[in-house]
Amino acid sequence: MDRMGNTAFRRVVVIGYGKAAGDVLRYVCDRQEEYGYELEFIEHEAAPFSVTEKICADRGVSFRQISDKKKLAAYLDGTAGKTLIVSASNNFLFPASLVQRENITVVNFHNALLPKYPGRNAPTWVIYEGEKETGITWHYVTAGVDEGNIIIQKRCAVGEDTRAYELTEELMDLAVEAFRECFGDVLAERVQARPQGFDPARRMYRSREVPSDGYFALTDPPEEIYRLLRSVDYGKNDIFPLMRTTVDGVEAEILRYRRIPPDGQRDGVDFLYLPLGDSLLKMKYRKV
Amino acid sequence: MEEKVLAILKEHCEEALTYDGDSMMEDGVIDSFTVINVVGDLEDEFDIEIDAKYVVAENFKNKEAIIALVKRLLEE
Repeated sequence: MDRMGNTAFRRVVVIGYGKAAGDVLRYVCDRQEEYGYELEFIEHEAAPFSVTEKICADRGVSFRQISDKKKLAAYLDGTAGKTLIVSASNNFLFPASLVQRENITVVNFHNALLPKYPGRNAPTWVIYEGEKETGITWHYVTAGVDEGNIIIQKRCAVGEDTRAYELTEELMDLAVEAFRECFGDVLAERVQARPQGFDPARRMYRSREVPSDGYFALTDPPEEIYRLLRSVDYGKNDIFPLMRTTVDGVEAEILRYRRIPPDGQRDGVDFLYLPLGDSLLKMKYRKV
Repeated sequence: MEEKVLAILKEHCEEALTYDGDSMMEDGVIDSFTVINVVGDLEDEFDIEIDAKYVVAENFKNKEAIIALVKRLLEE
């Protein structure tokens, strides 16, 4: 096949985990023949149901697992030739010495509308803060965290019942959609990237930060409690600890929760019920 | 019990009901986000706690594996 794609990049490295990384990898793979670049996938963090290794095996893409940060930095430092690194759902911070090299360009997907919510677990903070809208950003990577110029953004609404994992999934789909739109321009180096214009004193969200310090009182407004519970809900992924409250003077963990109709079935033991608008917030708890 | 599990699967991933392989994840029938929904509904329906250690590909490789998992947890 004649190569129709225009790019000076000789190599593309996709790094990431989970659904977004898999879908981005598939797309980059689909375009490989058109542009003629070498392709490699690096898994830095393993996801419980990762399919990237299988995608690589099925399509003959080089798959490398490097979980150690120093080893990954050293490996990437050895990159020769003009290389595009696509960071899709990836928590590895690229060293300044790497991103400043002339032969390397790094683009990253951030799951919020930068410059808002930089750092970790953005969907959590978006829900916790009661935002009605959020979105995704693909940006060039610089030495600062989530500071690089914006390539493309896409927006989505945040529903009043949206849980963190649901928002995460929607944002990943948006990220893949946006990547498909901008990948050709990134390869051709014709992106009209724009600066974020952020406040240098903006809050950077850290992985160890937990909304409300992981605790609520049963006297708190139920809407706030519901928002807190939804904001840290990543299913069985232990990104956050179980939220805690005090029941009959004893600390308790909330195992699960759900909004139910006002006339919904009320189970008696180890369940709490709070009025939530025109419905009820049902919470299963365990004393600790 | 089986009917309830199948009803939950039908709600979130109808394709799982007719899938006859042994790796729904790798075959693209179910993804990690759907698993979260299925696990949440199974916990509610049977009032069980499905620990993260059970939420692995092996226990979600097909509908029979999911039914077997719920059965084990109900017997514990």
